[in-house]
Amino acid sequence: MKRRLFLKELIAGAVASSALTSSLAEAAFSAQTSQRYLRPPGALAEAEFESRCIRCGQCGEVCPNRCIEYFDFENGVDSLNTPYIVPRTKACILCMKCGQACPTGALQPLERTAEDILAHVKMGRARVEKSLCLSYQGKTCGVCYRACPLQDVGIRVGMLEQPHVLDGCVGCGLCERSCIQLPQAIKIIPQHMLKSSASS
Amino acid sequence: MNLEQKPFFLWRHLNKLRWLVLSLVFMMLVALPFVHVYQTYVASFSYDLLDSDEKELFDIMESLTSPFTDNPADELDAIKGNTWSGNFFGYQISDPLAVVGQTAASLSVYWPFALTALLPVIFTLLFGRFYCGWICPATFLYELNTIAALTLQRFGVRVGHRHFDRRLKYLVLALGLLLSAFSGSVLVSVIYPPAIIGRELYFGIALGGVGAGLVFFVLTLLFDLLVSRRGFCRYLCPGGALYSLLGRFRLFRIRRIVENCNDCAKCNAICEFGLDPLRDDFGQECNNCTACIAVCPTDALTFVSRLRDDENQGPGHLGKKYKHLQQGVE
Repeated sequence: MKRRLFLKELIAGAVASSALTSSLAEAAFSAQTSQRYLRPPGALAEAEFESRCIRCGQCGEVCPNRCIEYFDFENGVDSLNTPYIVPRTKACILCMKCGQACPTGALQPLERTAEDILAHVKMGRARVEKSLCLSYQGKTCGVCYRACPLQDVGIRVGMLEQPHVLDGCVGCGLCERSCIQLPQAIKIIPQHMLKSSASS
Repeated sequence: MNLEQKPFFLWRHLNKLRWLVLSLVFMMLVALPFVHVYQTYVASFSYDLLDSDEKELFDIMESLTSPFTDNPADELDAIKGNTWSGNFFGYQISDPLAVVGQTAASLSVYWPFALTALLPVIFTLLFGRFYCGWICPATFLYELNTIAALTLQRFGVRVGHRHFDRRLKYLVLALGLLLSAFSGSVLVSVIYPPAIIGRELYFGIALGGVGAGLVFFVLTLLFDLLVSRRGFCRYLCPGGALYSLLGRFRLFRIRRIVENCNDCAKCNAICEFGLDPLRDDFGQECNNCTACIAVCPTDALTFVSRLRDDENQGPGHLGKKYKHLQQGVE
């Protein structure tokens, strides 16, 4: 009887510990997609990107804007040493050098032309927070529109320079970087967050 | 004793050349982040906005590069990257482990990238694990670490000389690749010192902060110092394991000339990888670093081109043991 009880406890313990370790592994290995960061332009979708990127750091080393930073453990073990951009700190100027430097195809090699950029760059999409935006408060601003490298394709302005984001927005983040409001009234929603909201 | 079997006199100077190459590679990895920072200053026309330290860097870099280029923002891109994967005058060269790791993580071969490792693979097939002795930026620091350990030992500090099974690193390689495949992320790059050195130097110099990789690297240095001399490279390095496998049937290898050997065992003492040149046991681990050739007092070690090591040729003909054996025969 006692032995059977012991065996039962042993099995229960094993099951519990395996469940615990698997959940720990999940917590450590799955990227926390709630974080708002951008991948460099031309990046593949998140999971594919992580399986391709060898963390050589050449994308950052050719960036003339030094806007590419590298993850430590903030985004899970999977993202260790992979490149990211925080647009409010420093946004991408769409020079496309990083994709040409990337040896692995994790960032696709693209030309610096409007066609290539519009077709393949999907860093995210800008979203205007109207309650924070000066133009929507009646104070004509329009800074985001003037910062945009894809004016009238990615963003247009209406009455009082009120910004409207269009489908051509690639998410480079120059609007967010330039917004004179604090906190910023225009934000890039990264591609990995757009997808998860669309699927759920 | 036949004196024709003297090794080519330049072989014993290769070790100096090796130190030159190692330090050049390391200095290049230190210089490249500075070049990049300078390029970003130039690209943004921001000289007046820089603070005094940054201006100093700008001025130094400008005086160094102005004889060669008028347009540093675009034209200083000749060498980029690091030894893990880098662009060298238009040729992309990558570590074979990067290709194997990416293949494991994505479970598919991406040929444009796989081909960038072709040159290192060919060289490894010819020269064995030469990368570990001649190029690896971590080797530079590990060998300095060994020198520091031996100096400390002279002052009576106890340093590590433990031995483990050399095959342990193949297990680390397999585990690293399994982990990469399981997580779908190239995680072998996180436990591979040369890749870490390249990255952390860039992080530290250009981005103003180092990451967890540096902690890992310092731990390996301490492991080498306190537990086992050059232990990480000998027993744990996944890249070393891959290079050893590729270099098993290397064409160029070191061989002992038994007629010249006097059994002094200096070669065994100097060997960073703990091999046994005295008994002709080089194996797939030898990285052709030529330290044993440089230290040999009787010119008994040389380079040959053949696919296998000799079997143990017995005691050296200049040693006492061989003379005793001869007398025993007579």
